[in-house]
Amino acid sequence: MLEVLFIGLSLGSILLLVALGLAITYGAMGVINMAHGEMVMVGAYVTVLSGIYLHTNIFVAIPLAFIVTALLGLLIERVVVRRLYGRLLDTLLATWGIAILIQQAVRLEFGLSFFGIHIQGLGPGLQNVSVPEVLQGTFTIAGADLNRYRAFIILVTVILSLLTWFIVYRTTMGTQVRAIIRNPKMAAACGIDVTRVNALTFALGSGLAGVAGVMMSGFKTVFPDMGTPMVVDGFLVVVMGGVGSLLGSVFSAGILGEINGLVAAATNDILARAVVFGVVIAIIVLKPKGLFALKGR
Amino acid sequence: MADTALTIDGLSVDFEGFKAVNGVTMTVDEGELRVLLGANGAGKTTLMDLISGKTKSTSGRVFLHDTEITNWEEHKIARAGVGRKFQIPSVFKELTVRRNLEVASCRKPGVFANLRFGFGADAKRTVDQVLELIGLTEEQNQVAAYLSHGQTQWLELGLLITQNPKIILLDEPTAGMTQAETHKTSVIVNNLKGRHTIVVVEHDMAFVREIAERITVLHLGQVLAEGDVREIETNPKVREAYLGTKGIL
Amino acid sequence: MSSKRPIDWALYAVFVVLIMLAPLVMDSFWLNRVAKYLVYGMLGAAIALSWGYAGILNLGQGLFFGAGAYMLAMSLKLASQTSLQQGSDKPVPDFMLWNAEPGAPTELCCINKASFLWLPFQSQWFGVAMGLVLPVALAGILGTIVFRKRISGVFVSIITLALVLLVRLVVIDAQPITNGFNGLTDLGWFKVGDLEFDPYVVPTYYLVAVSLSLVLVSARLLVETRAGIILQAVRDDQNRARYLGFDVPSYQTFFFAVSAAIAGFAGMLYVIVSEFASPTFMDLTFSITMVVWAAVGGRSSILGACIGAILINVISATVSETEGFAEAWKAVIGLIFVLVVLYLPRGLGGLAHDLVDRFVVRKRGGGERALRVTSTSSQAAE
Repeated sequence: MLEVLFIGLSLGSILLLVALGLAITYGAMGVINMAHGEMVMVGAYVTVLSGIYLHTNIFVAIPLAFIVTALLGLLIERVVVRRLYGRLLDTLLATWGIAILIQQAVRLEFGLSFFGIHIQGLGPGLQNVSVPEVLQGTFTIAGADLNRYRAFIILVTVILSLLTWFIVYRTTMGTQVRAIIRNPKMAAACGIDVTRVNALTFALGSGLAGVAGVMMSGFKTVFPDMGTPMVVDGFLVVVMGGVGSLLGSVFSAGILGEINGLVAAATNDILARAVVFGVVIAIIVLKPKGLFALKGR
Repeated sequence: MADTALTIDGLSVDFEGFKAVNGVTMTVDEGELRVLLGANGAGKTTLMDLISGKTKSTSGRVFLHDTEITNWEEHKIARAGVGRKFQIPSVFKELTVRRNLEVASCRKPGVFANLRFGFGADAKRTVDQVLELIGLTEEQNQVAAYLSHGQTQWLELGLLITQNPKIILLDEPTAGMTQAETHKTSVIVNNLKGRHTIVVVEHDMAFVREIAERITVLHLGQVLAEGDVREIETNPKVREAYLGTKGIL
Repeated sequence: MSSKRPIDWALYAVFVVLIMLAPLVMDSFWLNRVAKYLVYGMLGAAIALSWGYAGILNLGQGLFFGAGAYMLAMSLKLASQTSLQQGSDKPVPDFMLWNAEPGAPTELCCINKASFLWLPFQSQWFGVAMGLVLPVALAGILGTIVFRKRISGVFVSIITLALVLLVRLVVIDAQPITNGFNGLTDLGWFKVGDLEFDPYVVPTYYLVAVSLSLVLVSARLLVETRAGIILQAVRDDQNRARYLGFDVPSYQTFFFAVSAAIAGFAGMLYVIVSEFASPTFMDLTFSITMVVWAAVGGRSSILGACIGAILINVISATVSETEGFAEAWKAVIGLIFVLVVLYLPRGLGGLAHDLVDRFVVRKRGGGERALRVTSTSSQAAE
């Protein structure tokens, strides 16, 4: 039983890793970033490429992926998202286009494949990342064999969640972000540089997705389409938790992860995912504002 | 004595311990124009929300003539004969002015009854009259989003007039208007007097003097005083509650 | 608006004539392809109806398309040669036999626990009826729950999206009766009397083309009824409509269901021309792709969204003829999409509308100012 709960917790952690960035970009900026899953994918590819060309392991890839995806996020915000604030559903559509572009860029090796040039680690095929030895195998607690890598995911998720919480609730930028969540126009009137804060927020959200990608690469095959289902999961977590509530995302990720783990243990993975979707639909129908809605008039 | 159009009996609402409206009892006669006065937070808009079904009351009852409409669904209260104008003007922005009014002229609530073309000759006549009354005949083929703030307010009034309810609730119909626009609004409202029973929430005393017959003053969710303009202006309780602090009179 | 209506209808007429003439210039291979794209066009129209006119962005339209497709595919599966020649007096789908428990009776009624559900599908017309009834029923139930609870905007999108993915997984998991991931293949032909609709012959193309024309014209007429106009009022301001006395959820649910019926109908036509039904119809990508077509064509124009879908697919097919360009074309689609959202938020339909305003309405000197608000203003209100 402990093993099942542990697997559920690690599944919840993965959900949360993806959702953290979305909680920030969607909650704070009202942007439905469908390219968020592609940020995860890019993070995973950073791990693959840094392994091949720099011979570094997954630990080095974490900061590297954060930087790469944060910069990519910044670029997307500057070029596209910035023009779409206040048009929620349009951000969804435009970022879907961006998602396709990023996928194809990886698949076509930035277009070089047309000229017969191939970059090892990119392209349409599947990539695998080998995990450092410390993270392989299992360890035993109370008679239960627990997977080391899953424990590592949980640890990283806890650290990143605390870090995000700190940034949002204990820094000046965080205060500004929360002011923007409540009322962007008023925030601007109070002298907050909304444009700049939005850009940084988007970069932060993307960077978190990149780190999530590094973690994914350790136990999932890496390929250009891997991000699409993740962005959906991430959104379900954020919406179920209550838009704009970090705590809500943490809780809903935990709940969904455990439901997924338990149902999967009892039946199979497909049904487990189906049940997760069912739970999310039920909760959105019953509490459209999510479990932890922002209070206000 | 005229018939009573609207009866409010001990109406209260409790927002997690905060009683925004607390035991309000009042009656409005058929064809009367009643102004609700009160400072911010006195419960004027909440009272309108309770009458029109936007907010559900926790105790008390509302009658439209002899029909109890307490806590009905909004569209049923509307069908029973209560029309409401909002503080922030709301019209159908992507439809033309004329289409807006045509929609309001439609008497059938459900979707299946309306699966037919055109709004009929009666509706055309009504719409033409209302366009005249609210002064938007020239703009009738414009999309509502392009109207000025004042015009939008008048269009919303027009929607109500076309809807032809027994009681019209107007929430600050002159908010954000210039003096000239306010005056035009008072002309429209005065034109409705006698044909409809009207309840108006308003802060602008100049406007109130132009239209008011009887005034009910709300204070902290309760009825503080009721009377005509002169009585209210000289009422010591009202003076105490407002002149000392806010001086709205 | 009235002065523009004849022009709108003229565009419809031109479109209908064009698709009717297509068989004159195309071989049977292309005709079959274009028939598929016309089905996509029907999906685009369904999206425009719910998104543009009802303000409901359904990210799970694939659910209704898939429901329609599977219902007819079940009937056509039973009508296929392989199902008929399984040595039973009633047809049995081949995949059920492959997966049957040893010793199970090889009868449709009881080859596995749920196979009896297939029994009524021996009648093709039962499949056709269910292909409309199921999507409408699903949309009716979903719409009633969601719209009575006054859920709107992006939350409806998320619910529909989660639902299509949920159903997709259930279909995959119900392998014994749905053939799981593989879907239903090796189908018989659709028959009306003695006429068999071989997907590669001209009558099949006309079945699709005439269906599309009828759907387009009916949808267009529907939004011009009083109910359609009130629906647009609901889209602009739900509350205002409610306080004018309209039963708002009934409008939203009705048009949501009509859109579902069109999608279900499209699903059936797709099965007829492509001879398969598969869980990929309920992939997230497909549902969003439909929205993309509608957005490029013009979300608030039924004909525009339809043309958008056809155009994108025809160009895709043409470009993909060249080896290696298929993937690059996908990237171009992504780019086009970003550009359309940024610079042409009302799509090609909106552009056409503006051009008509500029050159035709003005020339007539009609005093009427034909103004349309960009859809962005309504979005901003959300």
